[in-house]
Amino acid sequence: MLLPDDGGGQGSVAVLEAGGQPADAVIAAGNSRTKLGDATPATKPLGGKGLRKEEAALLTSLPPPAKSFTLYFQQGTTTLVPDSVNVLAALRQEIAARSGPEVEVTGHTDTVGSQEDNDRLSVSRAEEVMNWLAGQGFDRSVMSAVGRGEREPKLATADNVDSAANRRVEVLVR
Amino acid sequence: MLRLPLGLGLAALFAASPALADIARIKTTSGAAAIERGGQKLKAAPGLTLQKGDKLVTGKDGRMSLTFVDNTRFALGPNSSVSVSEFQYDRTRQKGTMLTQVDRGSLAVVSGKIAKSDRDAMKVRTPNTLLGVRGTKFIVDVDK
Repeated sequence: MLLPDDGGGQGSVAVLEAGGQPADAVIAAGNSRTKLGDATPATKPLGGKGLRKEEAALLTSLPPPAKSFTLYFQQGTTTLVPDSVNVLAALRQEIAARSGPEVEVTGHTDTVGSQEDNDRLSVSRAEEVMNWLAGQGFDRSVMSAVGRGEREPKLATADNVDSAANRRVEVLVR
Repeated sequence: MLRLPLGLGLAALFAASPALADIARIKTTSGAAAIERGGQKLKAAPGLTLQKGDKLVTGKDGRMSLTFVDNTRFALGPNSSVSVSEFQYDRTRQKGTMLTQVDRGSLAVVSGKIAKSDRDAMKVRTPNTLLGVRGTKFIVDVDK
């Protein structure tokens, strides 16, 4: 059964093999049901009856989508800008609300300074955030921190450009 | 050049990741739900991490949900048996491949970064069909 994406778009599923034979069919109709096994599968709309009870229960039990947070830093430091302090509280709440959470912390810098220094700074920013979360009681085994230096700017700039938007840590909670 | 007011001593650019081989994490379970790994049977519980090759099994009253490191999400219904036979993901490049085998029962899927990375990078095999997932949400149901 194929459903519309949460974002409102529509993906598709290709039938690459059926009954042991190569196949070349694409199921692309949202809210449709297809009996598989034939080389040219017949797809039917869900119609007025909609989801079966078990299908609805299955969809309800899907985990929530991953959620992303961005924290910004003062130039050349691992100190958050004042506005980002509130984001920490929201981040903590999001992790606490999830069952079996996992947290990925990725540090970034702007292009001021050498690439090597920025590699170190980006790791330090990520670790600063991870250490704060550990201090809030979250287990380090569910968290990881990496730094990407100045390699993945939010806003592309020339070298040695002071950019508040690029001095950041992105935290993905899943 | 800017002097950085940092406590240094950080040798590596990439901090050690504690769990490189982990491909997914269990989020919720109910009823009979287990992971079969190399002849061992582990009780499924929230927070348990999965490895490539793991088989997820639920009983008549069982359910299980999990999220993969590429953000793919699964929900297994009762009486289901699902194996993650292939899984490879590069977090930096956000690319990878994945093959899931649904032998029995029902599986809801919301695809993640792997399905977006290349055409048919994410595949799902049922007893009679091989599917290529092209960025979407769907349910696979395999009758006994």
